Amino acid sequence: MGQPSSSNEVIRLVVLYVVLSLLIPLLPWLVSGIGTAVYQPKKKKELLQREQAFAKSSDVLSTLRKPLSGKEVKEYRLLMTNVVMSPSWIQILVGGILSLFGGEINVFTKVVDWSRREAQQRLREQAAASGYDEVINVRMETTTLSKIRGGKDKTTGIEVLAYGTGIKY
Amino acid sequence: MQPQVNIPFSNTETIPGMTITQMMGVVTGSTVRAKNVFKDIGAALKNMAGGELKAYTELLQESRNEALYRMLVDAQARGANAVVNVRFATSSVAGGAAELLAYGTAVVVQ
Repeated sequence: MGQPSSSNEVIRLVVLYVVLSLLIPLLPWLVSGIGTAVYQPKKKKELLQREQAFAKSSDVLSTLRKPLSGKEVKEYRLLMTNVVMSPSWIQILVGGILSLFGGEINVFTKVVDWSRREAQQRLREQAAASGYDEVINVRMETTTLSKIRGGKDKTTGIEVLAYGTGIKY
Repeated sequence: MQPQVNIPFSNTETIPGMTITQMMGVVTGSTVRAKNVFKDIGAALKNMAGGELKAYTELLQESRNEALYRMLVDAQARGANAVVNVRFATSSVAGGAAELLAYGTAVVVQ
């Protein structure tokens, strides 16, 4: 009676151990997969909705040095917004494999494009929140936050900074 | 909290509706920050899934405000009452540290 049940337990423990030892290293990749497939599209969709809310009127951002309409400017201020985005582990892995072949690395293009749109959208929202009619002379800058080579810190990302002069008529 | 420096600044070449009477030279403000020092476990975890790393967004925002503030203090010390053509630059220094630089032209406007 005791013999089969204890051997069953041993087998169960061994199976559990094998499953766990396989699962624990895979867990970050699982999280990464969920992040890539679910979380990121959700955030992008939200961003699209925010952009569409502003798309009804003409875009307030421009890279011109002076406002096109010659109206008198009453108030101005430097506005700046930034965002740090990172590709997921899976995207970094895929990007690394693709970069062996050269050409466009589509996974990274998407992340960079997303962060730039996000930074611009925040600039629009900031301008609207503080009541500026237009943002002129918009400049954008990108910085990489790279991981330290040989270090344990894997965190990577890019920072997009968008700044311009908000003006009130 | 930083004390406020009440100098208007913009990244356009002129201040709308005002004339520049005097140029006080280039003013700069910078700060060097290492991301590892402020390393956040949350950011490292978030990195797995991708997307925005809010901790770093805020950190860089704060640092850039600090650089701007230093630039304005410099301008005030020179007796300017406005800063035009403000630009930002970021350069990496060794060891994962980055320098955030804000620079512009200090002017006297009327």
